[in-house]
Amino acid sequence: MKSVMPDMQPMNQTVQETPQFRVLTEDQIEQIYFAALDVLERIGSRVHHDEALKLFRSSGDAVVSEDKRVRVPASLVERALKSYPRKITLKGRNGKRSVALQKDHVYFGTGSDLPFTYDRKTGERRRTTYKDVVDAGRIVDYLDQYDFFMSHGIVGDAPNPQTYDRHQFMAMLEGCTKPMVVTSVDGEGLEDLWKMACVLQGGEEEFRLNPMFVAYIEPISPLTNDVTAVEKLLFAAEKGIPAMYTPCPSSGATAPATIAGMLVQSLAETLLAIVLCHLKKPGMPLIMGGVTTVMDMRTTTYSYGAPELSLASAANTDISKWLKLIMFSTGGCSDSKCLDEQAAIESTISNLTAFLSGANLVHDVGYIDSGVNASLESLVMNNEIIGMVRQVGKGVKTDEEHLALKVIDEVGPGGEFVTHDHTYEHWREWFLPKLMDRSDWETWNNEGAKSMSERIDEETQRILDTHEPLPIDDAAKKELKAIIDAAEKRHS
Amino acid sequence: MAVDLGKMSDLLIAGKVEDVSNMVQEAIDDGMDSSEILQGGLIAGMDVVGQRFKACEMYIPEVLRSAKAMSAGMIKLRPLLIESGAKTAGTFVIGTVKGDLHDIGKNLVAMMFEGAGFNVVNLGIDLDTQVFVDAVKEHKPELLGMSALLTTTMPRMGEVINALKEAGIRDQVKIMVGGAPVTDEYAKEIGADIYGANAASSVDKGREALGD
Repeated sequence: MKSVMPDMQPMNQTVQETPQFRVLTEDQIEQIYFAALDVLERIGSRVHHDEALKLFRSSGDAVVSEDKRVRVPASLVERALKSYPRKITLKGRNGKRSVALQKDHVYFGTGSDLPFTYDRKTGERRRTTYKDVVDAGRIVDYLDQYDFFMSHGIVGDAPNPQTYDRHQFMAMLEGCTKPMVVTSVDGEGLEDLWKMACVLQGGEEEFRLNPMFVAYIEPISPLTNDVTAVEKLLFAAEKGIPAMYTPCPSSGATAPATIAGMLVQSLAETLLAIVLCHLKKPGMPLIMGGVTTVMDMRTTTYSYGAPELSLASAANTDISKWLKLIMFSTGGCSDSKCLDEQAAIESTISNLTAFLSGANLVHDVGYIDSGVNASLESLVMNNEIIGMVRQVGKGVKTDEEHLALKVIDEVGPGGEFVTHDHTYEHWREWFLPKLMDRSDWETWNNEGAKSMSERIDEETQRILDTHEPLPIDDAAKKELKAIIDAAEKRHS
Repeated sequence: MAVDLGKMSDLLIAGKVEDVSNMVQEAIDDGMDSSEILQGGLIAGMDVVGQRFKACEMYIPEVLRSAKAMSAGMIKLRPLLIESGAKTAGTFVIGTVKGDLHDIGKNLVAMMFEGAGFNVVNLGIDLDTQVFVDAVKEHKPELLGMSALLTTTMPRMGEVINALKEAGIRDQVKIMVGGAPVTDEYAKEIGADIYGANAASSVDKGREALGD
């Protein structure tokens, strides 16, 4: 378009179109970082894994005490930090490289391993099953605001708790074609899941370039690394599997009661993994993370709805950006026992904060009952919330076309814009509600006077009745089953 | 070759104002029956638009484009339809009452009626009661629409109805009222025939009241 207002487009002007949201200043980030380095030099972190202790000892820098405490000098941490990629792109079994983890790219997904499922029809909760995981997968596969899938529930009906993770991954694959974040029982479990993913991605080498999943691994706060967590980390490092080491401190219980203190400790826990993986094999795609929240002081609940979770997570994301690490954060979750106003309020606050902070993977969407209960309806509700949140995140474009001076001139005082070409061309940039009702009173009444809650129920049922994800072909299915059967045999 | 009315419908659905207008002219020049062009081309297209609008597949800006295309076609077609004595959707007079300068809601309703094939006379805003009375006398519409957005201007709609009664022409026309503070009950209270809750349902109710 020919410029009609050249004086409004100066040369070399950076046009900021994205809302700017920061919790910490750079000085504060440095204070937290230096304190975390100090934690690793003075206090250290306990590591219950022999190979890992050997790696630390033979580094010539780290110091290992008799009680398995590992202390690491700042120089080694800083060397290790330089070896991590700033970008990881995940490709789902649908063949799409749809999750490009890099600065300020935000993706939403579920959480994992919830023991119970909330049945809205009866108001009861029951043990989660294989079918529940498939169904959660189908919902995530269908809804456009979800980018990745974690299992949501745990397959409580798997034959053996030691091999449940293979069955769970199979259920996830059946239900969902998008990239994933997976949990595993131990190193051997992760190896099987990786082999299964390699079947679908076309082998180990292809997986390295087009990983299907990120392995979820967590330390035990404060400053403890158990054998299975370390096993998984070392395996991921060896094979170049994207992994996250994501502390889950509860402020006031397993971390200091101050957010800054919790962030210092959490960062020290992360940095230890940064060093360990670097010693094992430099350059693995490691992701920083954390569910940083408070323990509720009336109930002792690890809170998924606290505003402190959102604030601390956003601060943690600021730190991750400063460290040039990819960030795994939290949103769309609730302490409410059912899908009600509380669930909607808490989900909205954490989704919005996580999105504005620019965290890369925002997980736990759809958790209710403080990370115990799974709700498919919550996934459907959150899809609408995330859509609205993302719209806010689009920011305001202020180029000539969007300032629309020409259009205002053409329409003039007392005119209308609704039939102007400019409206026709731009209105689809708006958020289009699917569940939010904006009709007039009469129409709403005529259509059954349905509440949001009822609309959510109907939409959930509609998706479950109709959506069939792309099937896994039979040959691949056979190979996947062989991996699972072999695991069952080893553990029988 | 005969004009393809299916294609005319598609162009109308796509909101191609000029193309629809040209194609209607082409069909007329071809000697095609005006009722056939109306039903098979224009109305068939607008029916699809209506369905897609209800199914949230089309939205107001697109519907209005199609309505504009319909209206452009009707400008060509209306004289022929009248000449042939064919049944048309009728005339719709609409305006915003005295003291109210709100224009857009009333205009949306007007455009939607154009889309339904009505001959729409849009009187404007801030209108004296007498303007409505004169317009009913002059245009002899089947349907009169009045709009008020303010609770302070709402009573003017009742005054217009009373003035039509006094002039002895109340029964010549169906009266529809609408606007944010207006309700179905209020419409009945002031002696209107139809309450239009929104632009799309106003058209449905208007057609229904005229026995379409």
